[in-house]
Parts: sequence; C-alpha cells; structure tokens
Amino acid sequence: MATKKLAFIVRSMPYKTEASRLALTHAIASQTVEIYLEDGDMVEPVVAFMGDGVLNCLKNQNAMGMYGVTSIEQHLKNSLLLDLKVLICKEDVERFGLSESSLIMDAEDIGGETKATIVPFSEIQQEMETSNHLLFF
Amino acid sequence: MRLGVLVSDFRNVDDTLSRLKADKLGLILVGNGVYLAAVKESGKPSQVLGMSPDIYALTEDLQTRGFSDADVDKRVKTITYDGLVDLIFNDYEKVIWI
Repeated sequence: MATKKLAFIVRSMPYKTEASRLALTHAIASQTVEIYLEDGDMVEPVVAFMGDGVLNCLKNQNAMGMYGVTSIEQHLKNSLLLDLKVLICKEDVERFGLSESSLIMDAEDIGGETKATIVPFSEIQQEMETSNHLLFF
Repeated sequence: MRLGVLVSDFRNVDDTLSRLKADKLGLILVGNGVYLAAVKESGKPSQVLGMSPDIYALTEDLQTRGFSDADVDKRVKTITYDGLVDLIFNDYEKVIWI
C-alpha cells in the first residue's frame, strides 16, 4: 500500500486562461482516480500558489455576478472543503502587498474545516521534492 | 490619431505601450490588465499608469477578481461595459488590443 503524492503548482493568473481553474478541479478530481492505482494505494494532492498565481487567492471574487461563471474563489473553497492541502507563497504575498485578511484562507462559510496556509517558498519547494508527480499550471 | 488600447495582460505590456505614439492615447484595462490598476508590486504602482492621462479599468473585470473601486489607483477611471462602448465610439478613431 502506498500513497502517491501529486503537487499542483499554480503560477498563472485567474480567468484569462483556464489554467488555475483546471489546477483546482484536477486536484479535487485526483482523489477519485483509484481505478488507476493498485489496491490500497492512495492519492494525496497538494495545491500551491506561487508567483502571479497568488492573485487567485484574493477574496470577494464576483465572477458569477459579472459573467455567470464559477469563481476561482469557489473552486478554492471547494478544495478546502474536501480537505486538500493548500499553500500560498509568503514571498509573493508580500511582493504584491497582500494581507492574510485579503486572501481566501478557509471555507468556513460552506462548512469546511481545513485552512490554507501562507508558507515560505522553501516549504513549497519541499512539497515539490517529496511529490511523486509535479503538475504546473 | 486618437488611439484606444485595450490592455488585457499584467505582464509584458510596457514595451509595446511605450512605443505607441498618438495625439490622444487611451489605455483601457480589461481582463488581467486590471491588475495594473489595482496591484502594487513591491510597493510600487505599475509604470503603465504613467503612460497616459487617460486610463480606464473595466469594473466588471475588477469585481470578478475581487477588487472594488477603492482598490484602484487614483489615476485610473473605472468604467462599465456601457462606458467602454461609449469610449470606443466617441473618443477614439482607432482601437487596438494588446
């Protein structure tokens, strides 16, 4: 029995392309791929936002109100609701002058208990090194 | 020439914009271009905001990305799609998209 760790690294900005949305939906879906695994094997996804990708994590996105599409905020909250590990790069948060209060750190409003964490890039690097598969978006 | 430029990217637009010459140059920030109006990287506003006195940002795209008018640099006027149509038809002879 083994655990396959997948690291989804998001460096793209939201909305102009589908990249960051795909990262989150793939990360959520990855937990259901047991049909491709040996008996008893598990999948452990981790999502990390770095570079311009941290702008995906801004609160109060109103994509549904403006364009009728699900916001990245909702996808991110769904990830937290499903207990995915979500990391946000501290250096990039600081570079953009963002505060923790301006970022989506939890999904409490939809019943989630897992929280996102702001971490130094070295921790994201560590996640990349310990993952079996690395996916950049 | 009165030239309106729709800017939909956050990165790599300075070089093209700095080469454009027009009697009246209007920059209309849409899509990810609105980050130019609302984000300060390393504490500094984007250089693009100094390239024209006429800079606009689309409210719908700001709100989609989690920003309100209060987050927007004072040099930038916010406009809705209706305002964008008015700009294109009334203020500029030519409109390009970069």
